[in-house]
Amino acid sequence: MLIIKPKVDFVVSVEAEITPDIADDLEKAKNFEVYYGKDKVKLEDLFEITKEGDDKKLVLDGDFSKVKWIGCRMEDGEIVVKGNVGANCGAYMKGGKIIIEGNADDWLGAEMSGGEIIVKGNAKNCIGCAYYGDMQGMKGGKITIEGNAINYIGEKMAGGEIEIKGNAGDFIGTEMTNGLIVIHGDCGFVGGDMKGGEIRIGGKFELMPTFKKSEEGFVGDINVGGKGVVKTL
Amino acid sequence: MHHMLHIKNGIVIDPKNGIKAEKMDIFVKEGKIVEESEIDKSQCKVIDASNKLVVAGGVDMHAHIAGSKINTGRTMRPEEMRMVRQIANKFRATVGRVLLTSPAIGYEYAKMGYTTSFEAAQPPIGALHTHEELDAIPMVDKAALPVFGNWHFVLKYVAEKDIEKLKTFIAWAIERTKGFGVKVVNPGGVEAWMYGKNCRNLDDEVPNFGITPREIITSLIKATEELNLCHSVHLHCNNLGNPGNFETTIETMKLANGFSNDKRQVLHVTHVQFNAYAGSSWRDVGSGAAEIAKYVNSVDNITIDMGAAIFGHATAMTGDAPFQFTLHKLLNARWSNKDSEIEGGAGIVPLMYLPKNPVHALQWAIGLELGLLIDSDKVVLTTDFPNGGPFTEYPYVMAMLMSKKMREKELEKVSPFVQKAANLPSIETEKSLEEVIHMTRDLPARILGLENKGHLGVGADADIAIYNLNPNEIDASNDYELINKAFRNALYTIKGGTIIVKDGQLVEEVWGTTYWVDATKNVDMKAIEDDLNEYFDLYYSIEKENYGVEEAWIKNPTRLVMG
Repeated sequence: MLIIKPKVDFVVSVEAEITPDIADDLEKAKNFEVYYGKDKVKLEDLFEITKEGDDKKLVLDGDFSKVKWIGCRMEDGEIVVKGNVGANCGAYMKGGKIIIEGNADDWLGAEMSGGEIIVKGNAKNCIGCAYYGDMQGMKGGKITIEGNAINYIGEKMAGGEIEIKGNAGDFIGTEMTNGLIVIHGDCGFVGGDMKGGEIRIGGKFELMPTFKKSEEGFVGDINVGGKGVVKTL
Repeated sequence: MHHMLHIKNGIVIDPKNGIKAEKMDIFVKEGKIVEESEIDKSQCKVIDASNKLVVAGGVDMHAHIAGSKINTGRTMRPEEMRMVRQIANKFRATVGRVLLTSPAIGYEYAKMGYTTSFEAAQPPIGALHTHEELDAIPMVDKAALPVFGNWHFVLKYVAEKDIEKLKTFIAWAIERTKGFGVKVVNPGGVEAWMYGKNCRNLDDEVPNFGITPREIITSLIKATEELNLCHSVHLHCNNLGNPGNFETTIETMKLANGFSNDKRQVLHVTHVQFNAYAGSSWRDVGSGAAEIAKYVNSVDNITIDMGAAIFGHATAMTGDAPFQFTLHKLLNARWSNKDSEIEGGAGIVPLMYLPKNPVHALQWAIGLELGLLIDSDKVVLTTDFPNGGPFTEYPYVMAMLMSKKMREKELEKVSPFVQKAANLPSIETEKSLEEVIHMTRDLPARILGLENKGHLGVGADADIAIYNLNPNEIDASNDYELINKAFRNALYTIKGGTIIVKDGQLVEEVWGTTYWVDATKNVDMKAIEDDLNEYFDLYYSIEKENYGVEEAWIKNPTRLVMG
């Protein structure tokens, strides 16, 4: 297990594609290359790194809200963030677990295909979405947000599950083809151009007029011949 | 910086001048190839090309490298821009997977030993934008072909059977757009698209004009020949992309009967792969390449380019707006439709060629069949970048044309549909290195009418590529991997006498010229003045006085006067 603490308050964003793969070797971790703004630096230049035990785990202790791409493409192991985390956390993730004790930023778990992300606080926009231009968003795994999220949840989602225990904003499951989105609170527009999958909502929400009421719930989006289901929890 | 150069002991292939893999020296002074006696050997830089292939710089006569179409493609495909090719250093930063940024286009051509590239379809009203983008492409010489086949003036003069006015209009339009020649895209079909229709056959009527694609093509060939432009009509046929269209293509080629030109073809039919499908639907589609090859080989006034499809990412972008709508529906892919007022339109659709997809595999096979079955003096190697794939894959196509063994290996990876629907598996032909050099150098230069390009004779532009290949030792049919590799990274690329690439790496940035054709000498602009004023008043969103591009706005123009 590595404990990683920021040495300073970051003036610009840090792009650090760190995964639990670096946990086995302290030297490797210290020399891991990250970007600080436009400069390529070593992880140890920005963070204090200590090793405790041999488990495949990273503990990020402090404010990581300016640190992007944490856990990007990770396949196994565990990352615990004891604070806030920056954008693109868990993007393209295939396996393992990320626990964020504070808040998450945009693009959480974007295009992930496996593994689990748990956010104890709030998250922002584009959770489990497809990056601009790509055909599929989240394909597998699970994202749980204990607090609230904002807009664009599970855009082009093709599998897996997103659960938001608080409220969310607009554009939930846009162009979704498969998978499950559960929102316990209220949200805005739901299911535009949805082709498949299911959205369950606990509170109030707004539905496009292109959904048909059926026994299962609301089925659509009929604009695109979709068979997605939107229903109340 | 212009050096005097002495390229020593290279093995030269120069088909235009009849040089077949001979050991000889090439001399360069002030950007031109000169006689040995003209250079001062004490001041001259010597390049030792012993046992290396020395050829003219490549000429790409049909690619979409600048203008509103590729730019719309870039805008609608942000995913293309995630591939970083080069971070800024002595050269500019470049990105792009297939849809490269402007500097990347110049750099990638240079690395391959290509030194000339033509933008093949310029919407006339977007001419200024096209030239500004061409001006942002370093390393290569360039030009743009404005599109004529659906322009209301053209349709009007064809309907009135007034060839004199048509000639005058062509001369006016090429001068105004600083264009190079007469490009025609789906003549009449794009005008019909304004009403949700298309002209798939040569005798379909163009709405409101009472004319047919047949008349448009014939009139444009006649006008172009009478104006004696350096490049012939450059035609994207009707009925593109539809099963059974090879018949339309052959019918169209027959329209050139009765026209001839001592120097060049009278009709260049472009990206024929997309126009060479047999069958009646996507279920029974097959290759019509053999029939087309048979026709092209039997006449001497037609040339074509392959428009080969390469597996992987591509973006369809063409002035053929109705076809793009068909493609969008077929692929369920993103689509952008462009309108260029009374001149035509365009469409852009992202796509990807997958080896296991029967239709894609067939397209891949047809492109190669055209290259193999047609006489090397009539077919140019292109991918219709980025429609068939990236131009950076030309070396792959070159190697495929030269090696049956490589084709057999590639055929194992593709859909078995090709085995019954295409001729490729049974084609034994292997093009020689000389033929492939011809198809990528002096043939496109001849087709475009560029006398100083594509060869290494005295007086030619010093655009030279040196590759790590010894033509006297290589056995292309077995060593196809060496061919594929060598042509990707030139040992040296020399542009106008300056060494721009060494060992596959950029060493110096140069800015090529933009050719444009001035054919106004033999026409009287007064003949069409009233019509221009009327149409600009009634239909255009801008004033006639604000239309077009002035020569002074172009970075490094070269005016070619026709007379």
